[in-house]
Amino acid sequence: MSDIAPSERLSRVLANQPVDRAPVICTGGMMNAAVTQVMDENGPTLPAAHFDAEGMAELAQRVHAATGFENLGVPFCMTVEPEILGSRIDPGTLSCEPKIAEEAFASCGAVEIRDVKKIIREGRIATVVQAAHHLKKRNPDTPVIASLSGPVSTAASVVTPLTFLKELRTRPQDAHRVLDYVTRLLVEYAREVIDNGADVIAIGDPTATGEILGPRIFEDFAVRYINQVCDAVHANGKQVIVHICGDMSKSRNQLAAIHADAISVDALVNLKQLKADFPQINTMGNVSTSLLEFGDAEKVSRNTARLVRDGIDIISPACGLSTSTGLHNIRALTETVKGNA
Amino acid sequence: MSADQEELFERLATAVFELDEALAAKLSQEVLDRGYDAWNAVEHGLLAGVNRAGKLFDEEEYFVPELLIAADAMYAGLAILRPHIKGHDSGFNRKVVIGVVQGDTHDIGKNLVRIMLEVAGFEVHDLGRDVPPRKFVEAAIALKADVIALSTLMTTTMERMGEVVSILEAEQVRNRFKVIVGGSPLSQQFSDRIGADGYAPKAAQAVELTKRLVGLVNAA
Repeated sequence: MSDIAPSERLSRVLANQPVDRAPVICTGGMMNAAVTQVMDENGPTLPAAHFDAEGMAELAQRVHAATGFENLGVPFCMTVEPEILGSRIDPGTLSCEPKIAEEAFASCGAVEIRDVKKIIREGRIATVVQAAHHLKKRNPDTPVIASLSGPVSTAASVVTPLTFLKELRTRPQDAHRVLDYVTRLLVEYAREVIDNGADVIAIGDPTATGEILGPRIFEDFAVRYINQVCDAVHANGKQVIVHICGDMSKSRNQLAAIHADAISVDALVNLKQLKADFPQINTMGNVSTSLLEFGDAEKVSRNTARLVRDGIDIISPACGLSTSTGLHNIRALTETVKGNA
Repeated sequence: MSADQEELFERLATAVFELDEALAAKLSQEVLDRGYDAWNAVEHGLLAGVNRAGKLFDEEEYFVPELLIAADAMYAGLAILRPHIKGHDSGFNRKVVIGVVQGDTHDIGKNLVRIMLEVAGFEVHDLGRDVPPRKFVEAAIALKADVIALSTLMTTTMERMGEVVSILEAEQVRNRFKVIVGGSPLSQQFSDRIGADGYAPKAAQAVELTKRLVGLVNAA
């Protein structure tokens, strides 16, 4: 089993089957490892690679080679879906990821519903799908992970976020209508990218945290729609990882209700405890991104070794990496998991 | 204060706390119609209601959506009462420049602090999100602000906060402003290291901190 390919290892862990050791991955999307040190004048750079399938694939390949993460992850931002749904984005720079410059709608009620089957052929969804296709062709044994922005985060990037958060309570029917729309888009997007080579779908939903929403809204809105995407991924025969940010101490039971094959959480969640409380959950995480940026390699290595000892199923950074994170620290993380540090 | 007056202020507080914007506006108008003091109604009605909401927020019974709606109810009442507020010792003549530091677009925490400072009577100038360090300094000088409030949710942008303090020092205006910092990855230790005047772990505590720094400890 020591010669097990990275694709096989990740797939087995997600299916609760025994493996030689934990995989070490970085999904892409909100958790991408396209740090500035990976880019140079001989290869694709950001922000151009956000907009070009070949550049995106090549950059993902370089990230994989330079960091030692055992997957290929696309895209490198969370703006693909909101942009297609009409929000204006700021493409960012080499060291600063794209962000929403202006949300498309002032309220949930104002959101214009379009045909999701049509819009997934548009814009950068097509770019990501194509990049996944290139990557799978070139890397049969390494898992290609397509990262989607979760339903709540996407909705809060299409409708002015504070209004959206209020309307979850004041106009729940309007909010459901937007989330249903966004979710149908994500389901189509997931199917399309799976058809074109993605092995695993990752859903990053940073706004969908119990810390912001509270347990009840988290359950009624976040869990409900995230699960619709998870179920659709399963219906397409693939596995799904969900990342939730923030302090989930008041929403632990809701976390366990997510239909993901692994749950990834922030550094402030004790994964060992989560695993003890909910043995059915595959846990993923959660090497502090602050430590990765500001700490030294030895500390990163110690922190990583503790997670491995605690039996965390998949080792990964805890949240989005800063683009100024040093490769030596990222490699200390990946090499420790592989037993080479 | 008469029993009738107290009862009305209590109903106003409850309307805010129970997130009823229309009722808060209606009761605020009733305060004026009955000739009660507008500032008393703000203090014992609107602010009391938001404070109760803020307390539940700290206790994690209310979350961000509830707090935002309570703030809207408070604003609805404030829009009616504010033109009738006479001189008092609240924070109304103190200015705060607030923003999310460059590189970060998470602004929920900043918005909560802004709302709560406004509730406490501060004049708050919101520079928005992704604000370069120099812009904080320029705005604070131009507005003759008392306080500069810096927010970030990201570890990657924390160092920008230190740059604001460095620029203030380089421009020799450091002693004109109090600098406060907040956001989930921060700590008192970080605040001390970059030479800020204060750190608040929660939105409600940012208000107490600001009042203390500008010498308004006992003001509403």
